Amino acid sequence: MRNVRFFGGIPATKSKYGSHYGEKIFEIGNERFREWVPWRSKLSAVLVKGYEIEFYGNEKVLYLGAASGTTVSHLADILDEGIIYAVEYSAKPFKKLLELAKERENIIPVFADASKPWGYSGIVEKVDLIYQDIAQKNQVEILTSNSEFFLKDGGKFLIMVKAKSIDSTLESSEVFSKVLEELSKRFIILKKGTLEPYHKDHMFVFGVRE
Amino acid sequence: MQKLSYNLWFGKFNGEVEVSKDLKQSFKSARNDAPLQFNVSEIGLKIFGNNYYNLLRKIAIDVAEEKVEKELKSDDKYVIVLVKALEQLDEAINALKEKKEDLELVRETEIQEEFANTLEKLERLRLRIEDEIASVMEKIAPNLTEIAGVKIGAKLIERFGSLENLAKAPASKIQIIGAERSLYRALAKIRKGKEAKVPKHGIIFAHGFIRNLPKHKRGKMARFLAAKISIASKIDFFRGELEEGLYESLKNRFERLRRA
Repeated sequence: MRNVRFFGGIPATKSKYGSHYGEKIFEIGNERFREWVPWRSKLSAVLVKGYEIEFYGNEKVLYLGAASGTTVSHLADILDEGIIYAVEYSAKPFKKLLELAKERENIIPVFADASKPWGYSGIVEKVDLIYQDIAQKNQVEILTSNSEFFLKDGGKFLIMVKAKSIDSTLESSEVFSKVLEELSKRFIILKKGTLEPYHKDHMFVFGVRE
Repeated sequence: MQKLSYNLWFGKFNGEVEVSKDLKQSFKSARNDAPLQFNVSEIGLKIFGNNYYNLLRKIAIDVAEEKVEKELKSDDKYVIVLVKALEQLDEAINALKEKKEDLELVRETEIQEEFANTLEKLERLRLRIEDEIASVMEKIAPNLTEIAGVKIGAKLIERFGSLENLAKAPASKIQIIGAERSLYRALAKIRKGKEAKVPKHGIIFAHGFIRNLPKHKRGKMARFLAAKISIASKIDFFRGELEEGLYESLKNRFERLRRA
C-alpha cells in the first residue's frame, strides 16, 4: 500500500507529522514513520491480517465516523495528494479531530450526523471511496444512503461492521451474513474478513458500487 | 418551470452560481433533500481555482470549532431538562389515565373522546422525548449508554447534575444513588448499634443484569455494574469515544453470576 511499510509485522505510515494518539515515531534513513497500531485502528488490523487494499494517493474519500482521527491520521499519510472529508457527530472526539485537521491540508472536518447525508450534501463532493466505521444499529443503511449522495459510479467502499451494535442478542456470524446479504443487493463485495483478534465481533467489507 | 436551486457551501446554484457573502453561513445551510446531479467541487474549482480546498478547509474548521464549543457546553444540560420533563409527563399521563377511566364509568360524553385524544398526544410527545434523550445520550455518552442503557444513563446524569460530576463520582455512590432514604435509615440504625441492611442499589436496580438475577446475587452485580458505569462515564467525559470490550466484560460477569 502506498506510503505504508511493515516493521516486524506491524504497519507504519510514512509521515512528516508528529504523533497524534501516542503512537511511536521513528526514522529510517531520511524517512519518518508513524507506527499504525492494529488494536487502535481497524484499517491497520485489516492490513496486518494480510488483506491488500490499494490506494493511489490522490483519492477523494468520505470518512464516516472519524472519531478523534486515529485512522484518519494514517489515511491522511497514505492519501497525501487526496482529500478526506471526515464526518463525526460527537463533540468530544471532534476536538481532537480538529487538531489533526488544522495540522494537515488534506483533511476537511465535517461536524455532522452521518445518518443524515443531506445535511452536508452541499459540502462533500463525489468521492472515490467511502470509509465507514460507525457503531450504530443502522450502519448498513448509513452506508447506503451516503453512497447514493456521494459515491461515484464504480466508487469503492470499506465498512467496518460491528455486529454487537446491530444486534447484541445474535451471534456475530449471523449478523455478518445478514449484513453481507444486505450489502450485496447494492454493491459488489470484493473482500471481507473478521478483525479478530484485534477487534472482537468486527468484520470489514470492501466492495464497489455497480 | 421553476429552476432547481441547490445550497452549496459557497453559495447557491441554479445553473448559475451566486457566491455567498457569508461563507460560514452558507456552509452551515448546505443541505439539499436529494443527491446533487453534479459535483460540488467541479463548480467550486471553476470559481476558486486552486484555492478551492484551502478555502473549504478553513471554513469547515471555523464552523466545526464554533459548533463543537457550543455543543460541549449545553448537551448534558439538555438531557437533564428532558429527563425531568419525561418524569413529569409520566406522572401526568398516569394521573390523567385514571381520571379518564373514572369518567368512562360515570357517563359516555364527548369530553371523553377529547380526553382520549389529548392523552394520545401526550403519549406521542413522551415517545418523542424518549427518542431525543436516546439520540443525545448516544452522542455525549456512548459508553455510559452502552453499559447502563439510555434510561439509567440519562437518569444518572440528571441525578449527579452533569456528566462531569458523574465522571468524577466514586463507584460506590453510583451504586446506591436513588436509594438515599433507605441508606440513611440504615446508617441511623447502625449508629444506634442495631443491625441494618444497607441498600445494594438505587437507580441502577432497573438494569436488566441486576433485576434478572436472584436476590442474593444482586449485590455483587450492582457493585460490578457501578464500577463499569464509573469507568464508562470517565471515558465519555475525558475522551468521548466508544471503548470496545467494556460491555463484553459486563455481560460475561452477568452470565457467570447467573450460572454460579
